Amino acid sequence: MEMKPRQAGNVAILAIEGRFDANTVPPVQHWLEQATATPGARVLVDLSETTFVDSTALATLVSAMKRCQQSKGEFALCGLRRPVLMIFELTRLDKAFNIFVDADHALAVLNA
Amino acid sequence: MLVSLLSSQYNRIQAIAEAWIAQGAQAFGVYEHGRPLAYWPSGQRMLPPDLTAAIYQYNEIVGELRLSGLRNEAARRRLQADANLIGYILQLEYELQCITADLVTSQDQQLALYRLTQAMRDLVTIRETLTAVVSEAQRMLKARSGFAAYIPTNGGDPLIVQSAENSLNTEAIWRLYWQLQTEDRPLLLSEEDSDLRRPPGVRNLMLIPIRVRGMVVACLGIMDRADRFGTPELKLGRAIADQASAQIERILLYQEMVEQARLRSEMDLARRVQTDLLPRSLPDVRGLDIYAYSRPALQVGGDFFDFINLPNHPFIFTIGDVSGKGVSAALLMSMTRTALHSKAQFMPSPTPALVMRQSNEDLYNDFTRIGVFATVFVGQYDDAERAITYANAGHAPVIYRPRNGRAELLLADNTAIGILPVNHFQNRSLAIEPGDLLIVATDGFSDARNDQDELFGIERLLVAVDELADQPAQAIADGLFRAIDQFSAGHPQDDDQTLIVLKGAAL
Repeated sequence: MEMKPRQAGNVAILAIEGRFDANTVPPVQHWLEQATATPGARVLVDLSETTFVDSTALATLVSAMKRCQQSKGEFALCGLRRPVLMIFELTRLDKAFNIFVDADHALAVLNA
Repeated sequence: MLVSLLSSQYNRIQAIAEAWIAQGAQAFGVYEHGRPLAYWPSGQRMLPPDLTAAIYQYNEIVGELRLSGLRNEAARRRLQADANLIGYILQLEYELQCITADLVTSQDQQLALYRLTQAMRDLVTIRETLTAVVSEAQRMLKARSGFAAYIPTNGGDPLIVQSAENSLNTEAIWRLYWQLQTEDRPLLLSEEDSDLRRPPGVRNLMLIPIRVRGMVVACLGIMDRADRFGTPELKLGRAIADQASAQIERILLYQEMVEQARLRSEMDLARRVQTDLLPRSLPDVRGLDIYAYSRPALQVGGDFFDFINLPNHPFIFTIGDVSGKGVSAALLMSMTRTALHSKAQFMPSPTPALVMRQSNEDLYNDFTRIGVFATVFVGQYDDAERAITYANAGHAPVIYRPRNGRAELLLADNTAIGILPVNHFQNRSLAIEPGDLLIVATDGFSDARNDQDELFGIERLLVAVDELADQPAQAIADGLFRAIDQFSAGHPQDDDQTLIVLKGAAL
């Protein structure tokens, strides 16, 4: 797993490459905790290079989303590949998250 | 030196003197810096010498033989030969003394090293060990001060110990440490060579790497010795550093063992919590063939299943998976299971959606605080209708196979418990006539992996269910476990694998 953080306008973006599971969660969790700490934070997680997510990884994304909501921020995901999207659909997390096709679409909304 | 030789070998030198006198000499004497040390015949005043022969030790005159009464060439040559022999013996005596002194020193050092080894056995921290090593090295090498610096490889805090507080500032010590890391061999720095690596105010310095498992993890520095550091000091320093390496390795090994034991007992506890809470027997429900089994992973996840089977109460079953691993997952699993169980048991007219909705409200705040969620499937059997009503909170895979159809995946209608504060769960219904099959598994099945990192996946699971559908519930479950075991072919089980198989049976 590799993490590629960047900033686009007001939005903090984290791209996660490879397997995102219980073994690789800690650094992502650390990044998300910092990114979502400020009230009104806008955070985008780019999963276009993510090959797999397990339930621990999903839990990490869920708690980041909840923190953002509590502090009137925005949290979104983008670029989910078919197998990853399927995991979101199976667990119905696609209903809970703001999901965009790619980073450009997400940024257009988040930066508006 | 000549004096001590005379006293230890007096008889032999007297024999030389007496031989000279027997040969016609009037007197024979041994002199040092012009002063007589011994002369023969004894008790007489020495006559002026007729012949003298200088005694040399390492090309330096250390004394003289004087002879009176003979002056021929033969006597001169013999007297010089005597002087040369005595000079050579002096030289040997001196070397013997040096060797003896070295031997004593090295014996002392060996003893000190032995004591150091013995003393270090009782030390349980790396700081204690380095403190002992620095003070012993400083004492044995007769140096004014010393230090040791250590950087743990497991990401712990770096450590410096010094014999005297602040004899060197920490910045200088770390500079030396990294210098040693790059050079990867002992360094001797002295006043004579104007080496820039020598910190200001330090006369001479010996720096020795301390290796653990082939890596330099620490350095021992000994400073300001009266004499310069040479090969013997380097050897001794290395021996001390070796002791330190061995002890640090022992300590690390011990710490790792303790940590492993702690993790093991934590995992054992998690596994016990999980397995002890599972139902001990399968329920006997009219019109259903039921089998359930849960196989925990090495790193226990949060899977569970549960049955509520009471007289005058609908048969309800639950299965779920709490995100996370280990003790925390086991604890949250038991919380979730209990919340569902009490709702299902005590609600006046429970339905899966109601059980789910109230459990979500109970658990949402705690789950949010901890940052977890639980996927849950709750099913309720109606034997009059021969149907199962269910609600699915993000749980997968759920597979339904009508007796004359193909296996299909049932998607969840709602997100998992702990995600939304208010979740409007929906009840769905399935026929469960004889031959109809419902299998609720956890993601440990679909996510089983092989060594090529391929997932077992939903498709393979559906195919396996179709192949096994004719069998009784337990045989179907066994067949599914066998299928994922064959697929993963020895690849360790990443997650718990749990399933409930329900098959419609004759009344």
